[in-house]
Amino acid sequence: MSGRYSLIVTDTSPLFTLVLADALDVLLRPGLPVSIPDAVYTEATRVRGAPGANRIVDWINEHADQVRIVPTEIGIDQQRRLEEGRSIRGLGEQAAIETLERFLRSDKEARALLLFEDTDIEKRRAVVDERVDLISTGDFLRELEAARLIQSSDHVLEQAASQGRNIERQRQVVSDVETRGRLQEQLRRDHPGFER
Amino acid sequence: MNAIEHENLIRQYAAGEITWHSLRERGFDNYVEVLAGLGELGLRPPMAPMEGPNVEARVRARAVIREALRAQR
Repeated sequence: MSGRYSLIVTDTSPLFTLVLADALDVLLRPGLPVSIPDAVYTEATRVRGAPGANRIVDWINEHADQVRIVPTEIGIDQQRRLEEGRSIRGLGEQAAIETLERFLRSDKEARALLLFEDTDIEKRRAVVDERVDLISTGDFLRELEAARLIQSSDHVLEQAASQGRNIERQRQVVSDVETRGRLQEQLRRDHPGFER
Repeated sequence: MNAIEHENLIRQYAAGEITWHSLRERGFDNYVEVLAGLGELGLRPPMAPMEGPNVEARVRARAVIREALRAQR
């Protein structure tokens, strides 16, 4: 393998897919450094208690020797937008481009693998540079499956979806309980004799 | 977006007809929401077929991963 490769995560979707499938460690199996632009990291973890967010933070801390959060100008802009309550949509991808440019500038021998979500990589023309190659979550899983390091790509993706469904159902139950509580509170306030 | 539109978009996404990028433009806030929608419908995230504008770069990347995995053994 010529050149020094680094894997750059361009979007939150691979992180969410793998964390919900309890398979984040697959990103480390090739032994390449993993770079997560700050804006992607923030987008994945900014809501405290959001599904998978805490596990992503723990995983990064546990593997600080191999996984790095990359500060970017876009990330600074993202923080400002969050403080002002403005949209941060699409900033993760812009931060990934900034991360890539810095990375390639820093070392003439450096090469990058950009990790994309599958439908985006299939349909949208991405970066063209001889030192940059592109891989999707599915492509990545297929190689691990071929190397017999995971049971199957389908299994990982099914796990992610079924865990997503469970989380959504739990969220709805909590939301229903909270709504009932607020309704009861309002009834008690408006009708002092109301007890249930 | 109502529930039927939401379901239709998730089904189109699972079939590879629309991208995650376009789901975002149509109001999906984060990918967990997409995974949840897929799970509710008994579907899973799509895997991109080896076609489209980025195939050569993808083939090279898979070869890099393959070699890196081999080197780790």
